[in-house]
Amino acid sequence: MRSILCYGDSNTHGQVPGGTPLDRYGLAERWPGVMARELGVGWHVIEEGLSGRTTVRDDPIEGAHKNGRTYLRPCLQSHAVLDLVIIMLGTNDLKARFNQPASEVAMAMGCLVYDIKELKPGPGGSVPEIMIVSPPPMLDDIKEWRSIFAGAPEKSRQLALEFEIIADSLEVHFFDAGSVVTCDPLDGFHINAPAHVSLGRALAREVEAIGWPDER
Amino acid sequence: MPDMRFAPPNPLRIADRASGLNAVSVRSYNERLVLSLLLQSKDITRLEIGERTGLSAQTVSVIVRSLEQEGLIAKGEAQRGRVGPPTVPISLNPEGAYSVGISVGHRQVEVVLVDFVGSIRSHTVLPFSAAQDTNHPQFMTAIAKAIADLPRHLHSRIAGIGLALPGDEAELELTPKAARERFDALQEEVEREIGYPVYVQNDITAAAGGESMFGVAKHLSDYLFFYLGARLHSRLILNHQIYNTTAAVSFDVGILRLEQEIRKNGNSPSELWERRADWPSFGDAEIAWQRELLEQMKSSIAALKPFVPVASVVLSSYAPQAVCKAICRELEQAMPGISAIAGNIERSPKAVGAAGLPFSSRFMVE
Repeated sequence: MRSILCYGDSNTHGQVPGGTPLDRYGLAERWPGVMARELGVGWHVIEEGLSGRTTVRDDPIEGAHKNGRTYLRPCLQSHAVLDLVIIMLGTNDLKARFNQPASEVAMAMGCLVYDIKELKPGPGGSVPEIMIVSPPPMLDDIKEWRSIFAGAPEKSRQLALEFEIIADSLEVHFFDAGSVVTCDPLDGFHINAPAHVSLGRALAREVEAIGWPDER
Repeated sequence: MPDMRFAPPNPLRIADRASGLNAVSVRSYNERLVLSLLLQSKDITRLEIGERTGLSAQTVSVIVRSLEQEGLIAKGEAQRGRVGPPTVPISLNPEGAYSVGISVGHRQVEVVLVDFVGSIRSHTVLPFSAAQDTNHPQFMTAIAKAIADLPRHLHSRIAGIGLALPGDEAELELTPKAARERFDALQEEVEREIGYPVYVQNDITAAAGGESMFGVAKHLSDYLFFYLGARLHSRLILNHQIYNTTAAVSFDVGILRLEQEIRKNGNSPSELWERRADWPSFGDAEIAWQRELLEQMKSSIAALKPFVPVASVVLSSYAPQAVCKAICRELEQAMPGISAIAGNIERSPKAVGAAGLPFSSRFMVE
């Protein structure tokens, strides 16, 4: 049995576009569930999606618990042994209160990669496979969120390239979610049920393509 | 002192998104290692690449992604086996790179444009004419035409030009106007006038390289290579490496020898050089020649045997494949344990091999 940790924000949590964190797609509808179904037996998929989660930042308004870096360590240790960690974060870092360019968000993703490499929660204390997933770009119309996310849609379109640069230089797997899904126009930054299906399928193919030797 | 882990990222492999081939300087050793495997094998998975190179899955992932973005490779359909996760084969994208190959032979010059898997996209044959002092202007035009045959937007995907030149003394004597000095000038001139890097190699070595890269020898790591041209040539390939030497000798048991036999019988040999799918029967002349040729091949193989136990022989030629296959059959019968294979680069094996040179120089490890 191989374990995959899906570490993300509201789009991993499965928050319904235009809804609240409690309006959530069903277990089988959310992309980790879709991916688990696609991968079939032999894989254990762990969901760790928190609405509002940032890469490395305490949120002065929503709270310090939104910091993806501080929660990552206990999370990795809770779920070890892990064969693969998929991280899809970055959108919440683009909130106006953080005032960060896309490149800084990518640097923060790099931090998380270093933390995983340092903790070595893989089989036999090894570094697990790590996959950075850049979130789908936000739409221009983000409704009532336009002031909280002022300037974010433009930056969100730069995340894929910035993340890929980080993934390349740290030598980890990379996937651009924007290559298969777009955000729902209801709020402009959450993905809907069909998108969860597409993303789950695409990521299952990416996971398989890594190539896994027969388990001993 | 800053924590260097958080210094600006250094993305060596992010391909120039403007399409076209990456500059030579950024192609890392590991990238060449992966490309070498891909040029040596068809349909290989990322897992196999990792196992054969010793690179980690993540490193392979990064390299494969960048090569994919560069358009050099393409992902195949996932293959679902009975057990384990499906595998995804990767292979070269035929449209990923192009190359021009030129061979200078004793009767003609051939210019080909091939794609990344060695399919000929353009082919020009330039005869040496006795009436003209030189075919040099036509030569340059033929190279320019091979490039012009490729749509303009793909010109940035041309890896270079490979030039296959005769090397041994006997072959040089047969080739009109052939002289080492002239050949030396040729590389520089083509580079200057056509504007692509030119790679030069001995023509027999190039032909062997062609069969290794694009032809029947793709899966062979060790074999003895024979080239049947005007004369018979040979090369030894061990662990995918062609032993190249200027001291190699050729034997007068080639097509020129057959021509003599045919004339001796009072017949016309002209069809020998017409490059048709098959030769007419040349009767006794052909039988006598074939015997002589086989004797020479057998003696070369036997001479090698105490040193290298080579089990595979590849025979390459512009002679019809039926003729080569017949020779291979005879050879196998005469030498049990030897597997003789006729090369499958029928049109211009030397020129196609020459076209492989820019690929090996730019994409493979030494």
